[in-house]
Formats: sequence, structure tokens, C-alpha cells
Amino acid sequence: MRHSAPAQGRLKAPSHLARLLAALLTAAACASPGGAGGLAGSIVISGSSTVEPISIAVAEKFHERHPVVDISVDGPGTGDGFELFCDGEIHISNASRPIRPAEIADCEDNDIQFIELKIAIDGIAVLTSPNNNAIGECLSFADLYSVVGPESRRFDRWSDANSLAAELGETHAAPFPDVALDVTGPGEESGTYDSFVEIVIEEIAAERGQPEQTRPDYQASADDNVVVQGVTGTDTSLGWVGYAFFKSNKSQLKAFEIVNEDGACVAATPSSLADGSYPISRPLFIYVHAEKVEDNEALSEFVDFYLSDEGIASVTEVGYVVLTPGELEATKDAWEARETGARDT
Amino acid sequence: MIGTTPATYAPEAVRKRLQGKRFDAKGFAFSACLLAALLITVTLLAVLLYDVINGGWSVLTSRPIEFLTGSLSSAAADAGIGQGLRGTFFIAVFVILVAFPIGIGAAIYLEEYAPSTRLTRLIDVNIRNLAGVPSVVYGLLGFAIFVKALGSFTGPDANGRTVISAGLTLAILVLPIVIITSAEAIRAVPDSLREAGFGVGATRWEVIRSHVLPYAGPGILTGTVLALARALGEAAPLILVGATTGFLSGGDSYNLASLQGRFTAMPMVIYNWTGRPQPGFETATAAAIVVLLAVVLVANATAILLRNRYEKRR
Repeated sequence: MRHSAPAQGRLKAPSHLARLLAALLTAAACASPGGAGGLAGSIVISGSSTVEPISIAVAEKFHERHPVVDISVDGPGTGDGFELFCDGEIHISNASRPIRPAEIADCEDNDIQFIELKIAIDGIAVLTSPNNNAIGECLSFADLYSVVGPESRRFDRWSDANSLAAELGETHAAPFPDVALDVTGPGEESGTYDSFVEIVIEEIAAERGQPEQTRPDYQASADDNVVVQGVTGTDTSLGWVGYAFFKSNKSQLKAFEIVNEDGACVAATPSSLADGSYPISRPLFIYVHAEKVEDNEALSEFVDFYLSDEGIASVTEVGYVVLTPGELEATKDAWEARETGARDT
Repeated sequence: MIGTTPATYAPEAVRKRLQGKRFDAKGFAFSACLLAALLITVTLLAVLLYDVINGGWSVLTSRPIEFLTGSLSSAAADAGIGQGLRGTFFIAVFVILVAFPIGIGAAIYLEEYAPSTRLTRLIDVNIRNLAGVPSVVYGLLGFAIFVKALGSFTGPDANGRTVISAGLTLAILVLPIVIITSAEAIRAVPDSLREAGFGVGATRWEVIRSHVLPYAGPGILTGTVLALARALGEAAPLILVGATTGFLSGGDSYNLASLQGRFTAMPMVIYNWTGRPQPGFETATAAAIVVLLAVVLVANATAILLRNRYEKRR
């Protein structure tokens, strides 16, 4: 090559270009547009990163049967999902909490009706590093409030929370030793954050006249996986994620048992979630755009499949807990009747 | 000075310098620092390369075809980057078709035609500043213009969240870089070349075409390809434009009609997989990084080959 005459090189250049161009054109021509027959259309799903794995699993199975239907699934967070949903951008919004009145109002402003379908149950696991031997095995809501509640701002040692914990009473693990407290959790846009606040923080905060939120100074991420990484970073860390994420990372993490209403320490397991004895559990939903169901056959077919035995099996496959038969029946009835609006709040 | 220095001083000093065994400590320290800087860079690069290649090797050797052509998946063992490569390919096409001609054209105008007024200097400074604007800001710009305002053109069925929007956004992102590097290359052309052209009666256009551009060509090429590599590696603007990361069906078609559908691209795939906790994704991510590195390397190598050919011809 190095010895080739310059004239030859000059002649070659255009032929290279032509060959490249030809290759590109062939590639473009070969890709035929769509397939013939069968179901076609497009389905766009977004919302909770907690529900995302279920919807992906269902989408993958559905895609095998109807390869021509365009499906995309994303997980930016429940709040972001509802924003897109009420803008009319997406067909299904995954949610790890029920839709809020403000979000319903947003949807109404744009004349968007939704069908609320409860599809699974998730628990929130309160996590620490497996190397954490300093704090014990079990926490109560009061313990949690004293280290991540609105009054725990700037506590960077567990022991900083001791006076607050003493004030609250009903603690289980407190008083805490003097070890580093690094808190990592889902961001405020996440349904996991909302559920955690609602279940763990809200009642005590309301009693004490505090805002219903966690401390603002914790490491927040919408991506549950980042939370898992954060929690494994320090031995005496604290964090919380959806149960499925904990389950798929059991080897790297340790979950605290949580004191329930009867005063017993309960670990998060499929059975304790299903029977409700584990105190931090919540329902998972999909919200379906009611109007688009009418004129998008692929969408209605997809939701049918989602609620079928094969579709709903995805719930356990990705690590969540299935609804009781009665609840699943109620969901199916709501779908068959195309029942719009929020059902249980 | 001359009056106070003995006449013998200068030759004395020179002889000392030449024969003396004095150790040049400052000079040695300086070159040692430079060497250390180089070694740190090379070591970091080597560690990074070793890490990703080592991590991704099992995937790249055990299922290379499936990995390069496969789709996004929740299962690490089935996950592939076909859709990511497709998105990155079209982004490159948009950058080449949009940013290169506009950027090089603007640079030629600025250097060869524009009079040196306060306005042109202001424009010049502004373009330099634009090159330093964080990419996420360009993402917001792309979101506002291509996704929202021009959504009916960029992707009527996908709310504008398409590879067209992404490609145009990244083209705008690298436009200032293309302009600056091209302008520098054109500025480096000696004026004597231009004067020679004008001297034999050539018009401005003829001088630019036959003297300036061939001379500045290699420099322009280097700058544009560096810009292309930058565009291929950006993730932040793609997040705002709305690349899909969870599951995508049909996002691997090279058919032109598919440009208006939802998409994903290599940096987004890598970004998303990095966050996944399942062990299989660690290796898949490393493999995807290796592939993206290879793509960028091929782009750079092509530019170097083209440049060498140009330079030989010059």
C-alpha cells in the first residue's frame, strides 16, 4: 500500500466511496417495512422503575407472539411517568403508588381518562450492608423516623439520633452506637420514596407537627440499582428499595426486620408480604390510557395479555408478590368493564 | 555590563559549561515531571482498557454475533447492543451530514470572507464559548426544539423522541467544535499561498478551493472526526431527548422509515446497564464499552488514514 503510486490512490478513493454508498443503500433497501398480517401498532410504557421489570418481562413475552407491534418500556419514576401519561405521550404508566389528586387534575385538564389496574404487591426493604453488625437485626418505625425522618437532618452518626429516639419512645434498636450513618434512598420523584414516607414517616411526622418527608440530606437516586450500590458502600449504611431489587441482590445486602403493629419483628419474605404481616408493603399499578385502548388494538391486546396467567406470572418471575385471587379477579373485572378513574385511594 | 565584566569571563563561562560535570537539576526535574505526566495518562488508559476488555471478554468471545445484533433485554444473558449500534450509526450519519458541512462552511466564511469587524470577533468569541457549554444544556435545547416544537416532523408517532431528534441535537452540540478546529486549520494556511493565487489572477473562490482547502484539509479532517467521536460518546443529551432503555422492539431497523420511531444508542445502553445490579450486566456493560471504543477507534483511524493520504498528495 505504501508504495502504490499516488495516481492509483486517487483513482481508488471514489470507488471506495461508491462501494460504501452501495452497501448502505442495499442495507436500507433490504430492511422491509413491517411484516404482513397480524397485530400491528405501537405501545409506549413508562413510569415507575419498580414496576418496569414486570412490564419488560410481559413486553418480551408479548413481542414473541406479535413481533410487529412496536413496544418501548422505560422507568424514569412514577411521578415522571404520570407527567408523560397526562401529557398524552404514553399509553401505559407504571406506578408504585396510586395516582394523586393533583395528577388526576392534570389528566383531566388534557381530557385523559385512565383505567387503574392493581397488578402486584411490593414491599420496601430497609437495607444495610451485610457487614453491619453494629445496629442489630430489627428496626421499628420510630427507629427509622429518628434516623431518616424530617428531624434527622445533618445526623451523620447513628448516635446523633439517640436523643430524638428517646423522645419518640417505641424504639427497638435505639440507643444506637457511634458509627457512621450514610443514607441512600430513592429520589422524591420515585413511588418508592412516596410509599416509604406514607407508611413509615407520615404518622409520626403528623403527630409531631413536622413536614411529611424524609430528611433532605440523603443520597437520592431514581435508579434503585444506584441505591443498592450506595448501601453496599459503607458498613453501617442505611437505605431502602423495592423488595424485588433487594431479592435480586440478596448476596450483597442485608435487610432489617421491621417491627409490625403487634410488636413482632418481621422479615420481608414473599409470604409476609402477601399476608400483610410485613408492615412496609404497597400495591403496584399500571394505568392504561382509556381512549387509546379504544382505537389501538395492540394496546388492548397487550393489557389482556398482561392480566392473563402467562402475563401475570411475570410478577413472581421478577421477584414481586402476586395479588390474592380475589384481588386479581377484581383487577380483571375492572379491565373488562374498562372502569375509569381512581378506585381505592 | 560590558564595562564591569572581565574580558575573559565569557570564554571562561562557556568552557565551564562545556567541560563542567555540574548536574542540571532543574532540567532533570522538568523532564521527569513531563515523563510522569505521560506515564500517568498512559497507565490510566491501560488500566481502563484492561479493566473493560477483561470484563467484557467472556461476552465478546462466547456470543459475539448475538451480542452485537441482539436487543435490549431484562436478562443479561440475552441482552445485545444491536439497537444501540443502530442508533449510534444514525447519530453519526446526522452529525456527518449536518454538522460537518455547516461547521466547515461557517469556518471558511469566518476566516476567508468575513471582514474583521467587532461583530465577527464577537461571533468568534461566542462560538468558542458555545464549545464549552455542558452537553446537558444542548440536550435541553434539543428537547425544546426537536422533540417538542418539531415533534411532528422528527417523529409524529413517537412524540419526537426519535433518532432524528438525537442526531440533530448532537450535530448542534459538536457544531462549535467543528467550526473552531476548521477555523484554526484554515488560519494556519500561510498567507503567501493565498497571495500567490491572487497574484496569478485567481478569484477568491479559486484560491480557497485549490490552495486553502487542500492545505487545511488534514487539520479540518482531524477536528471533525474528534467532534464525531465526542458526539458518539455523549449520553446526557440522549437522556433528555428520551432514548429508550428498558425494552424496545423494532429499534434495530436500518430502514429509513424507522428513523421516526423510538430509539436507543450505545452511550444510553452503557449508562443504563451500568446501573443494573444483576451480575451478568457487569460483563455485558464492559463488552458494550469495548464495542463503543472500537467504533470510535475505527472512526479515528479512518480519519488518520484519510489525512495521511491527503498530506501525501499535497
